[in-house]
Amino acid sequence: MATHAPVAHPGGIAGHIHQEPQGFVRRYVFSIDHKIIGIQYLITGFVFFILAGLLAETIRTQLLNANGGFVSPETYNEVYSIHGSAMVWLVVIPILTGGFGNLVFPLQIGARDVAFPWLNLLSFWIFPVAGLMLFSSFLMGAPTAGWTEYPPVSLQGAAGTSMWAAAIFLVGVSSTLTGINFVVTLLKMRAPGMTFTRMPLFCWAQFATAPLLMIATTALAAALAALFIERQFGVPFFDPTKGGSAVLWQHMFWFYSHPAVYIMILPAFGIISEVLPTFARKPIFGYKLIAFSSMAIALAGFMVWAHHMFTSGLAPYLQLPFMILTFAIGVPTGIKIFSWTATLWGGKIHLTTAMLFAIGFIALFTCGGITGIFLAAVPYDLDVHGTYFVVAHFHYVLVGGSMMGVFAGMYYWFPKMSGRLLNETLGKIHFWLFFIGFNGTFLPMHWLGVEGMPRWVASYDPQFEFWNRFASISSYVMALGMLVFFYNVISSARFGKRSGPNPWNGRTLEWMIPSPPHYYNFKNIPTVYGLPYDFSHPLPYKGLEDELNDSPPAAAGAH
Amino acid sequence: MVNQTAPPVRLGSQFWMVSAVLAVLAAVGIWFWYWFPIEQYLPAAIVTARQVDTLFRFMAATGTALYIFIAGYLVYFSIAFRVRKSDPPDAIGVQIHDNHKLELWWTIIPALFVVLLSAVSVRIWYEIMLEPQNGLVVQAIGHQFDFTFRYPQVNGEITDEMHLPIGVPVTLNLTSSDVIHSFWVPAMRLKNDTVPGLVTEIRFTPRLEGRYQIICTQFCGVLHSQMNKQVLVIESRDKFNAWFHGWQVKNAHVSNALPTTTGTAINLSNANIGAGQTLFKQKCSACHSTGPFDQRIVGPGLKAVLHDPTHPNLVDGDPATEANVAKILQTGYTGSIGSMPNATTNGLSDQDIANLVVYLNSLK
Repeated sequence: MATHAPVAHPGGIAGHIHQEPQGFVRRYVFSIDHKIIGIQYLITGFVFFILAGLLAETIRTQLLNANGGFVSPETYNEVYSIHGSAMVWLVVIPILTGGFGNLVFPLQIGARDVAFPWLNLLSFWIFPVAGLMLFSSFLMGAPTAGWTEYPPVSLQGAAGTSMWAAAIFLVGVSSTLTGINFVVTLLKMRAPGMTFTRMPLFCWAQFATAPLLMIATTALAAALAALFIERQFGVPFFDPTKGGSAVLWQHMFWFYSHPAVYIMILPAFGIISEVLPTFARKPIFGYKLIAFSSMAIALAGFMVWAHHMFTSGLAPYLQLPFMILTFAIGVPTGIKIFSWTATLWGGKIHLTTAMLFAIGFIALFTCGGITGIFLAAVPYDLDVHGTYFVVAHFHYVLVGGSMMGVFAGMYYWFPKMSGRLLNETLGKIHFWLFFIGFNGTFLPMHWLGVEGMPRWVASYDPQFEFWNRFASISSYVMALGMLVFFYNVISSARFGKRSGPNPWNGRTLEWMIPSPPHYYNFKNIPTVYGLPYDFSHPLPYKGLEDELNDSPPAAAGAH
Repeated sequence: MVNQTAPPVRLGSQFWMVSAVLAVLAAVGIWFWYWFPIEQYLPAAIVTARQVDTLFRFMAATGTALYIFIAGYLVYFSIAFRVRKSDPPDAIGVQIHDNHKLELWWTIIPALFVVLLSAVSVRIWYEIMLEPQNGLVVQAIGHQFDFTFRYPQVNGEITDEMHLPIGVPVTLNLTSSDVIHSFWVPAMRLKNDTVPGLVTEIRFTPRLEGRYQIICTQFCGVLHSQMNKQVLVIESRDKFNAWFHGWQVKNAHVSNALPTTTGTAINLSNANIGAGQTLFKQKCSACHSTGPFDQRIVGPGLKAVLHDPTHPNLVDGDPATEANVAKILQTGYTGSIGSMPNATTNGLSDQDIANLVVYLNSLK
């Protein structure tokens, strides 16, 4: 418990102080504290990550041999469908938006909580329920048509496909609520002086992501509802033999799922933009350009969905605008990559684990971005669409990008969650095992795809056996790295070195308060005078003099 | 807050030396892709395959060069500017916030590159689209789990391999009898989905003799990974004609004509069990076994389907009489337990249906 009464901020802006609830359940289970909810999202997300990761290892074990044989083709199809769905909807999106978004960005804008704490509680609790529903679809015959579940084949799928649709619908509801909450929080609850051009870049990233969550997810919800209704009640939306359209689903699905790619990468961009300046002891290069390019990417993300459908009988004259618009996204993305690289120049670089993951992120994400250009070019996409080249590309973006961003964020903000540091030696072992294992797993998939290995296959041509084995064995190395990480998190949460409020010499607001922060975040809402990333000037905040008077809270989450 | 009088930033000779090394490496990368023998790994079976390879080389060369610079600077900066033991604990880097000139350049240059890349891609796209319309027409129909091919200009023959004469432009019409499949020949660098209810078209001109694998690249059901048994054969005109004639003779006992499904009752009196058995292997065995009912592949096993009173009823509760089975073969169906293509997409004539029914009748 805090020993002295917090001073309410006059004028009410971002200043409302909740009564701290008593009792374990109210504090840690059904909490309305954004930090606890953020940690709940992270824990739940990582539990689903372990499950979906085991499915990934099942996939790679099946593909050790050309004729498969580890599991039956039916089971294999179920395994990769749930692997993909879970990684997208139960791991990457919830961890990056629900997890780090909730945990960090109210702190960074100097707010005491999000705008609608009870809504936040609701959107969290929908998520584990939906996750359990998704995994329980295994019990009734899981969907088999991949995470995209194209009809009509998904109309033939077992009963679990309807369960899948319902589960994803619920996850969508949860993300939409989170998006609404974040937009309102960011627009209404910034501390005095926290103008848009003084906001930390992670907040910009969440601000660009939130409208995507709100708008794109509705298209997915409509598609899922239609699929569910068609499967359960026979109303033909997608079945061409009854007058539906087999391609309609693809338009609706990708109208969501292309922006969803940016939901999965923009917050990771934000994390990288926080980690780099802190550990290079330098202002981020081109702050405004990075901020505005996030918005440009979010906007453009709505105009390129049909590039997933170049082979599906799209009218040829539609292919060109979608191709050129997709190329155009390379410009803002390139700007970010150049700016991050330039941020390193002339720095005093501390190669902590978080920094290694951030630099590794740039290296791997750039590779995924370049192969994205290949896939955007219609004539080349007509060759490699639906092959392992695509599998390689999106894993470079989503694992080499989003997940590396998640790990950078974990090592960076773990002290803010627990008051303790993650072990750096274990962290570096985790980084190198993961980085090497990752490249060994996904790099060979580029040439496997080009030479003729299609996606979604339980067995393949024996000529591809060598590189598949190489990939499978590398994936075990990656899994080993993950074991090190989970051991590190669990042991450091208990026994890790105490971090103090600001172990990294960070300049953003969350580092100005104890680790873990008090229930109400700030005793007094601070006033902001400048950009957070300038190391040669005094900190641009006023009103934080009282924050560290108390001894820091003793254990994770407790005061 | 920002120090307006900061001294101008100098990059130093080390930076330019590293840049020169990276430039040389990038040039090597471009050279590598310029000479890379793609066709040695994957033959270019059609004319436009070589255009696609050109586009690939262009993107691979520029992408490699760009990647060498980014990864090179990342590694160089991480090593050269890492904090030293001799540095004070609160050492800070050079406090530059931005450089508008530089930012402008690295917005303009990628934008110009996008224009260039679009021009190259559109040009090659046009070459693919400009393949002639009036060539040899082939229809490819996706099924769970194979493709069948028809040559409507050559009396509608249905085949399981796709033979094409060299140098003759081809219009390939794609459709599907059940779910979405995708027709891909890696050696052609071309694919398109086969969508039920939609006929899509790709056009190309074969240029290189050989046998090439046809692969389905859109997940289409449990045996999707087995759907790569078909072959595209590109051969000389003479060989093509000989193959076609041979195919007609070999399958003479199966009907050669276009399906003439009439919708009227099938006459079962002239049916041939042997021909039905051959047809069953060609048309039905991908989805149905001749084992007991619960021995499903996609559809149920058909052992004793016309004899076993405990055998579950056909769709809609109709009993499995010869007439009803014939009707289902004729019209196909979509129902709760799956779907089956109709006679037209399966390429079954009335005589074929009769042959199949007597064959099914013989399974006891």
